[in-house]
Amino acid sequence: MNIREMSVNGQRIIPPLELNMEKGIILGIQTNVQRKKILLAQFAERGDAYLSFAEQGEYTRLTVEELLRFMKSVSGHDKPVRLMLQLFQLGEYHKVKIADLPSSKKIYLSLLRVYYAQQPIIVLEEPYFQLEEPDQLAFARLLEELSEEKQILILTANLEDALISCDTVYRLDEAGLHLLDITDADDEMETRDEPGEAEFKIHKIPTKKNDKTILFNPPEIDYIESINSSAMVHVAGETYACALTLAELEERLQHYGFFRCHRSYIVNLQKVRELITWTKNSYSLRLTTGKDSVVPLSRTKLAELKELLNI
Amino acid sequence: MNVSLKRIQAIFIKDYKEFSRNYAVSIMILFPIAFALLYRSEAGDQAAIYAFIMNFSLAMLTSFVQACLIAEEKERNTLRSLMMTPASMLDVLIGKSALVFLISAAVLAFSTYLFGYETSNVMLLTAALGISIVLYTAIGTICGLYSKTLLEASLSVFPVLIIFTAGPFALAFEEQYPFLEVLRYLPSSQLSELLVAMEVGAAAGELARPLVIISIWAVVLTIISFILYKKRLMDQ
Repeated sequence: MNIREMSVNGQRIIPPLELNMEKGIILGIQTNVQRKKILLAQFAERGDAYLSFAEQGEYTRLTVEELLRFMKSVSGHDKPVRLMLQLFQLGEYHKVKIADLPSSKKIYLSLLRVYYAQQPIIVLEEPYFQLEEPDQLAFARLLEELSEEKQILILTANLEDALISCDTVYRLDEAGLHLLDITDADDEMETRDEPGEAEFKIHKIPTKKNDKTILFNPPEIDYIESINSSAMVHVAGETYACALTLAELEERLQHYGFFRCHRSYIVNLQKVRELITWTKNSYSLRLTTGKDSVVPLSRTKLAELKELLNI
Repeated sequence: MNVSLKRIQAIFIKDYKEFSRNYAVSIMILFPIAFALLYRSEAGDQAAIYAFIMNFSLAMLTSFVQACLIAEEKERNTLRSLMMTPASMLDVLIGKSALVFLISAAVLAFSTYLFGYETSNVMLLTAALGISIVLYTAIGTICGLYSKTLLEASLSVFPVLIIFTAGPFALAFEEQYPFLEVLRYLPSSQLSELLVAMEVGAAAGELARPLVIISIWAVVLTIISFILYKKRLMDQ
């Protein structure tokens, strides 16, 4: 699929692109709001894509069952409504008016319109942004099932959202698409030195914030994230820039129970509370810190992590 | 553009449920009934009063409900999603218009009964009101297409209400201001003229003229509403 070049005020926003979409692979593109809108507009011109917009409203005076019945007759879908209610895990809500649903369920229901789409391509804008976790989980499973028959593309501004259900994630900027390495990070894992023979080293992590240099003790750190190839250290909900690369940091921190859980993330294992399984090949780690912080976990790193934790 | 009865029916039922549960809109069916009861006892100029009630009801009920149904669908972005299903634009428009037509017909018939209006020619009255409902539905569609929200839609109906309902009354000043002659050709004035002519027992030729003018209005406005509907939905 080809995307045309787009310029605003003489500045190139999107170069001409070619997207390879396949059934069975959920594609994700992480980009800013402006590019998202441009992409959506280009997809809207094509007749063969169903677009699910973030601001999709709903017939709020209908009950859930009535809406599904309406969607069924309008789209010519063949499965009975009762079966769909079960599949969508909405059985207990079938008599509830949509206006009275919890807000996360309301958005979940709007997203389910993609299930009735007849088009071979489905494009979703920010599907997970306003969903609560159980609904994210439920929707991720449905999408995975749907991807057997349809080509699915998720547009989001938030990398973590893309990682929930995408098999392949690209970052889009003015230079074009950049593949984010999620699944096959194996090849790049460096051979590590045997621990123990290291000489004395500084174990504080130097960071910068507002022109001040701040030194952190490794146990204080929650996790480290790589954004545009510079490391951001997260401590108690605040972020600090660090001049070291992720590889250097990983080497420094491995004796402190830190773990490279993803190509762009190092996490402090002491602070991991929960291992979240989104689908059979996408995982996240929830931390114990006060804020609701979640760090993605590559499938390839999962085995290594399980070994480390003896689970 | 393919039209499917099954989809039209689905849209009809969906809109009926939404209409009956949205009291801000469905309360409009009480106006014609209340007016019919209010003016029932008055003797004398029955045809003119009856024509006023019908004209008022057509604008207040038919146009208003149709405008609200379309505007609400736009406001909630459900129309855009509906356009991506196999349902065509025509399915949506026919489903909504059919609902509005049935509601209006039932309410107008009921208020005619309550008012106790008796006519010598039921067929002619039914035809005139039926064509008027089509015409006011088209006006409602146009109002709905030009408003983004439910609130805008309910306000946009008021100019229609004022021009069409008050038109026949402004004709009283025709001698002072000759240009008001134009108002004679409003469908509401024509409906009023038709009813008065029926009461005095005018000749068939005289009865046909208002009916033809109302029909021309209905055809022209329906075509305009179709074109606008298609154009404005493409722009979205």
